[in-house]
Amino acid sequence: MAKEDLIITDKNDDGIDRAGFIKCMAWAGTGILWMMNGGIMKSFGMSQMIDKTTGGLKKGLVIPALDFSFVQISDSHIGFNKPANPDVVGTLQAAVAKINAIPTAPSFILHTGDLSHLAQADEFDTLDQVLKSVKTEKVFYVPGEHDVLNGDNKQFLARYGKGTKGDGWYSFDSNGVHFIGLVNVVNTAEGGLGVIGNDQLEWLEDDLKGLSNSTPIVVFAHIPLWAIYPQWGWGTRDSAQALSYLKRFGSVTVLNGHIHQTMQKVEGNITFHTATSTAFPQPQPGTAPAPGPMKVPAEKLRGLLGLTSVNYLEHDHTLAITDTPLAI
Amino acid sequence: MKLTRRLIVITGLSVTVFAAVAAIKPENPPGDKFKNLRVLPKNISSKDLSGIMVDEFQDDLGISCNFCHAENKDTHRPDYASDEKPEKEIARAMMQMTIGINKKYFKLRHPMIGDSTLIITCATCHHGNSHPDNTVNQ
Repeated sequence: MAKEDLIITDKNDDGIDRAGFIKCMAWAGTGILWMMNGGIMKSFGMSQMIDKTTGGLKKGLVIPALDFSFVQISDSHIGFNKPANPDVVGTLQAAVAKINAIPTAPSFILHTGDLSHLAQADEFDTLDQVLKSVKTEKVFYVPGEHDVLNGDNKQFLARYGKGTKGDGWYSFDSNGVHFIGLVNVVNTAEGGLGVIGNDQLEWLEDDLKGLSNSTPIVVFAHIPLWAIYPQWGWGTRDSAQALSYLKRFGSVTVLNGHIHQTMQKVEGNITFHTATSTAFPQPQPGTAPAPGPMKVPAEKLRGLLGLTSVNYLEHDHTLAITDTPLAI
Repeated sequence: MKLTRRLIVITGLSVTVFAAVAAIKPENPPGDKFKNLRVLPKNISSKDLSGIMVDEFQDDLGISCNFCHAENKDTHRPDYASDEKPEKEIARAMMQMTIGINKKYFKLRHPMIGDSTLIITCATCHHGNSHPDNTVNQ
């Protein structure tokens, strides 16, 4: 950990000092703020940051210049038309409007899968059409299991997988951060668990070889790479192997979708984060017989959908993750 | 002159009929690319088949593909045509039962799994469980 990141005075025993808190608050969006510093991630509720009388950020906050930022959206399920959300195009458009309202346009967007509901050409067409209006330079994709139904991932690869390896995995660098898009939905294990597979694991090991331990890593894939609730298939069978390759890096952030709700976990140097859907919510683990579209009162729906913003300060090696519901 | 006018009208009507037929033609024309379909129509469209698998089986029974479909030993991917797993045959029997109940007791003429007109569906008994739980008050 860098010397400037050490907490000298921690009167509230909350693991963050005043300067850190102000820096952290500068990332404030709506929902929950996540800030990672030196491999340690802490969350801060909006009540800590928002001035209740004005509805804005508390007075005195200074917003630092960003090196770059990106947004994660997930589980658009274009084509879904059941009561849980009969207007998934409308809610995706609302997510795009949120992104376009960000003062500094994100460098790019990561879509962590389930673009479509039934992997139909017209569904992909609609998604493309909606995302045309988003203010960003590029959109990166990984498939969800709904995008490769009936064992057919050809359409997804033809549309979104140009220049990728195998079933669509790839990596790229941006502003000193190494991004890795993994595919864990083409071969699924018993119970719906994701599978990365040997070919992709070998590629991953090789891809990481030339990187120094201080390189910040962001891994994104559809099914969570940590065992959230294996009984519902919310985990990846061979993720331990992949994560073992990432242990030597000081800062690793893993972004997933699939479960349609935000969850976070820190394990050593690795911060796991799952995003909400732009289409419909799913029940919390174990609170229903099975996962699936969850119908909520119409006025509550957009509060359970949303997007994730990630801001990065290169000189601090700081990645801050903010979840923003569509309702706010 | 009359003949020309009649020709224009006939041509116009033909174009209208052709356009109307084209408009109601399904976006995903049925094909026979799916192997070993015994209960579901052999010419089912990709969209209808995927919809049944996702919305009927996955959501109503809380299962994933591997519950019924065996894994291809070479590719490690689901072998959708294989009948290796007994659950697949049970699923066929369940679909036939569901179609039969809708036909016999609810007088639906041509009930098919996935139809929004079905009175009895997988969810009627399964409620998100792979095996209906008759100990729960529903």
